[in-house]
Amino acid sequence: MSTRINIGPVHPSTHGVLRLVADIEGDTVLRVEPHIGFLHRGVEKLVENRMYMQSPAYMEKLDYAAPMSYDELYVAVVEKAMGVEVKERAQWVRVVLLELQRIASHLLWLGTAANDLGQFFTLFMWCMKDRDMILRLLESASGARMFYVNMRMGGLVQDLPPGFGGGARDVLDYLERRVKKYEAYLEKNPVFMERTKGVGVLGKEDAINLGVTGPVLRASGVGYDTRKDNAYYVYGKLSFRPQTRSEGDVFARYRVRMMEIAESIRLVRDALDRMPDGDAIGMPVRLITTGAKNREASASRETPRGEGIMYMVADPQRPYRLAIRSPTFVNLAALTHIAKDCRLADVFAILGSLDIVMGDADK
Amino acid sequence: MQISSLLAIAPFLPASASPGSALGELVGIVEYAIAVAVIIIVFDYVFGWLERKVVAKIQKRHGPTYAGKYGILQNMADILKLLSKQHMAPANSDKPLFLATLPIMLAVTLFLVLLIPFSPTLSGSSSGFVLLVVLVLVSFMPLMIFVNGFASGNKFSAISAERSVVMLLSYEIPLVLVVATAAALAGGYSLNGIVGAQSQLWYVLLMPIGFVIFFIAMLAELERPPFDMREADSELIAGWLTDVSPPYYVLALFLDYSRMLLGSMLIAILFFGGWEGPVLPPIVWLLIKVFAIAFFIMIVRATMVRMRIDRLLRFGWLILLPLAFVNLIVTYVLLIG
Repeated sequence: MSTRINIGPVHPSTHGVLRLVADIEGDTVLRVEPHIGFLHRGVEKLVENRMYMQSPAYMEKLDYAAPMSYDELYVAVVEKAMGVEVKERAQWVRVVLLELQRIASHLLWLGTAANDLGQFFTLFMWCMKDRDMILRLLESASGARMFYVNMRMGGLVQDLPPGFGGGARDVLDYLERRVKKYEAYLEKNPVFMERTKGVGVLGKEDAINLGVTGPVLRASGVGYDTRKDNAYYVYGKLSFRPQTRSEGDVFARYRVRMMEIAESIRLVRDALDRMPDGDAIGMPVRLITTGAKNREASASRETPRGEGIMYMVADPQRPYRLAIRSPTFVNLAALTHIAKDCRLADVFAILGSLDIVMGDADK
Repeated sequence: MQISSLLAIAPFLPASASPGSALGELVGIVEYAIAVAVIIIVFDYVFGWLERKVVAKIQKRHGPTYAGKYGILQNMADILKLLSKQHMAPANSDKPLFLATLPIMLAVTLFLVLLIPFSPTLSGSSSGFVLLVVLVLVSFMPLMIFVNGFASGNKFSAISAERSVVMLLSYEIPLVLVVATAAALAGGYSLNGIVGAQSQLWYVLLMPIGFVIFFIAMLAELERPPFDMREADSELIAGWLTDVSPPYYVLALFLDYSRMLLGSMLIAILFFGGWEGPVLPPIVWLLIKVFAIAFFIMIVRATMVRMRIDRLLRFGWLILLPLAFVNLIVTYVLLIG
């Protein structure tokens, strides 16, 4: 006889307002079903009533753990619709900022995932502290700590401040040491290893069929990374490899994210070294723009949570319709498949490993 | 075991009270009760504050700073706030059971602290079976949690109740085996005797495996990470305390900290020579050891990842139990036999 329990939307480890309905029998979970929509703001509709440059601030609130990536994704789709080229230096700066944002997002994930595993906020606080150093960098580049609104069509609102490169390198050196420490701390802990290894396995075939992207997909052994396979900006000029693991379990997802932090640190250093001088400022802020040239445009980006796609049907001055493919939405849908016949405690480990942000899933 | 010796614990016969007149006996009992109450309250308060501060330091936070010097009044403020809130019980709970279990658990814990001697002169019972009684009543706690969890009518609490029994099954037998070994070494279940037997060498050095087992089992008993599956905040919200009202939550905190005192005292007495120590008075030595052990448990709490309940069962039966037997046999062969 199974019992149906309702986890959330008010629950310590549902990352905001996710509701899970779980059928359990003893300690075994027969089925988990995510119910979403508690944070639905209708962003896709709101955008239709605003001029192009009024919307980036809305877009950032979709994924409040990595706002820069959505800011950039929206601006990119508008650029495609208007046929604007991004300036050479702005491309490099965008890559630097996006990779910094990825590190910040993965650090936040590490802390919250450890929390879901029953770690009493220690790693969470450490990671928040380290993430704050990146936020300070991004603040110096954009003027805001969390919601940057730093992208403009064709470039940025402002170029990197003088001395940014040196400060960024110091932070990256520090983070590299810290992340190694966290890895040692977790992987030498036998309880952490047995809580994550072999738990919540998502096979390669299933991962492809379910449409998951990002670290979750790469942890299942698929080397798909939009930065590589659909290279945008200067990612094609930078050398990096999509980080993959073959196991597909919670531990593999953890490892992939940790390796991605290391890879992003390398990418930022490389980009800072090779960045050309020049102008990076985008189009001036005007409500009425030159008008969209293309009727349809789409852009796909590797956000920290997976592949984010925006498809836009453009009117001259505002989107006629904008459709967002948010990575969290798809990854979360895979939870029902992954968390089948697992233990109750594993549901939270798996949920944590999927790296969900409800603002992203609910739109 | 003779019934008469079990009964001997019923009237607390403090060593300091003058036996003879009934009035003198009563005064002795009251004096002792007040002394122990002061110790418990001071420990609970200081421990509650210290835990916040220590865990905060580990987590690179400041912890409470606002209320009083170094936030020393923060717990008082919290208690006042909790007590000022509305008391209620869920509509579908079994109210008498739900409301009675937490006070009973607290009473049993305080009774146990009364039984355990603080020093040769400050001792609640002269019985030779105190350790057995303590063990029996400590095992009673998970059952009360089971009752409370099911009586609250909350599904998370019910899961917590189930986990409580599974935990009891997994660590209780190794715990008893280690205690039996210690008692065999000392030649009796009297805590005074056990401390006396450690005047030369602490038992932690004589049976290190036994200490590790006992410490792990005590962590599970005290609901401390990595064995806090009953309260598992990231899974079961607050476990068996999910539907407890704010004034009752004060009791739960009091219970938690008192159990901490109880557990640390047991560890100190069984393995670290209790109140034995040079220069300082015995009770000071005991409290120093108790705080040192409590401090260590805080650090464990701040660093460990929670274990899974089925893994704990496996861990208890496949690792702790064989180790407990090894400890028993090695101790018998080398030290007793």
